[in-house]
Amino acid sequence: MVNVLAATHPEGTVHGEVGDTTVPLRFSDSPEALSEEYKALRERAAALDLGGHGLIEITGPDAIAFAQRVLARDVEYLTSDRCMMSLVLDAGGSIVDQVIAFGREDGILLESSCGAGTRLLEHLRAENDEGVEITDRADLTLIGLEGPYAWGVVGRLIDGELASLPFESVAEAVWDGVDIVFARTGFTGEYGYQMIVPRQEAARLWELCLEHARPSGQEALELAMLEVRQPMPRHEASPGASVIEIGANWLVDITKETFVGREAVLEAFESGTGRATIGFTCVTGVPTPGTRLMAGEQVIGEVVHAVHSVGLGATLGLARVDRDLAAAGLDLSVGGVGATTLTSPYIVPKSWSVPII
Amino acid sequence: MTVDELRAKAAERRQTCDQIKKMIVSRLDLEIEPGWITDDQPLFGRGLELDSLDVLELYVAIEAEFGVALYDSEMAVFGSVSRLADEVDPALRAGR
Repeated sequence: MVNVLAATHPEGTVHGEVGDTTVPLRFSDSPEALSEEYKALRERAAALDLGGHGLIEITGPDAIAFAQRVLARDVEYLTSDRCMMSLVLDAGGSIVDQVIAFGREDGILLESSCGAGTRLLEHLRAENDEGVEITDRADLTLIGLEGPYAWGVVGRLIDGELASLPFESVAEAVWDGVDIVFARTGFTGEYGYQMIVPRQEAARLWELCLEHARPSGQEALELAMLEVRQPMPRHEASPGASVIEIGANWLVDITKETFVGREAVLEAFESGTGRATIGFTCVTGVPTPGTRLMAGEQVIGEVVHAVHSVGLGATLGLARVDRDLAAAGLDLSVGGVGATTLTSPYIVPKSWSVPII
Repeated sequence: MTVDELRAKAAERRQTCDQIKKMIVSRLDLEIEPGWITDDQPLFGRGLELDSLDVLELYVAIEAEFGVALYDSEMAVFGSVSRLADEVDPALRAGR
């Protein structure tokens, strides 16, 4: 997928492939870029180019019934002023994608995770027994704003009242003469907003954002997501890993009677076996996925994903370990260096103590 | 620490976390099994989607069940079940 905002990104922007798309990883090739973009997210307000997130519309008389069957959370009464995050599973209970579902008057709109739009679209079309209309809304794209003062940017750019909408509220709005769908939602635990905008207007609206917020790339966004234990399927959904092992239960409504993958998830939950995911930090280095975690001489699991956390000033990772050792506060080793398991959130979002005024 | 000692330490935290999960499900009358809540998932807003009224209810419940008053605490204590466990049983606190 061509990034609609790529032409606006400054010289030196480091782009990278994520799934089916090319995204800005950092908006500068400076060694300080990640740190600065991260600080914008955690301390002020960051503009996010979410053009790598696919938008897929489901319409038709059976649209809600179809969405209710393919989404793991309950969207039967998802009105057009609400959105929610959900997993999409295959019949074996494996994660196809993590989506944000927007209620619409004539159906539902799904936002894929970064780079997963094609995969999600193919899955939905393969599951379409109801004959609903499934449309790739490539004519739309997404711009995000997140950070402890992102509400102020929304106020300056669009409408201050929108900034204080309850979490996961959605509203139709006009932004500089353009009809948009505005949502209060995000990924980092900070105040978060998303604007669904026409593709042909995106570059102009993005430039307006940059008058009040610093752009943050995919690396800073994913780091901030990891710090609040926001699941990231592209890093965590390794082959064969169940929702239970990943710890993404909260993105599944197991009380819903039927949905694709429910039996497999329930079986994994009731079995009480398998591994579980726990956060960790280690003394030096960033271990690669697959690096073994040791308790003394015993292998107890392996690294799933790890990065250097700007907020912690140390390595932060996720490991999948034996269930009876998946607890915070344990001293282990990874790749020959000392590691300690952690309690989430690993960084407390500043927004939790900053009121919207 | 030996593996067995680590397991015992993990079991202590699990016991407190399980107690907190049961309390949350019971006090807030949730339809899920307590074990469906993970130790690390968000509780407030995202995740379990607690609101400020739920949190007030849990302040009371935590004081009754654990004898710990969290009324003046920052919202961070509701960051996860495991974080709450650190608050109600400070002996567990480590690795932050």
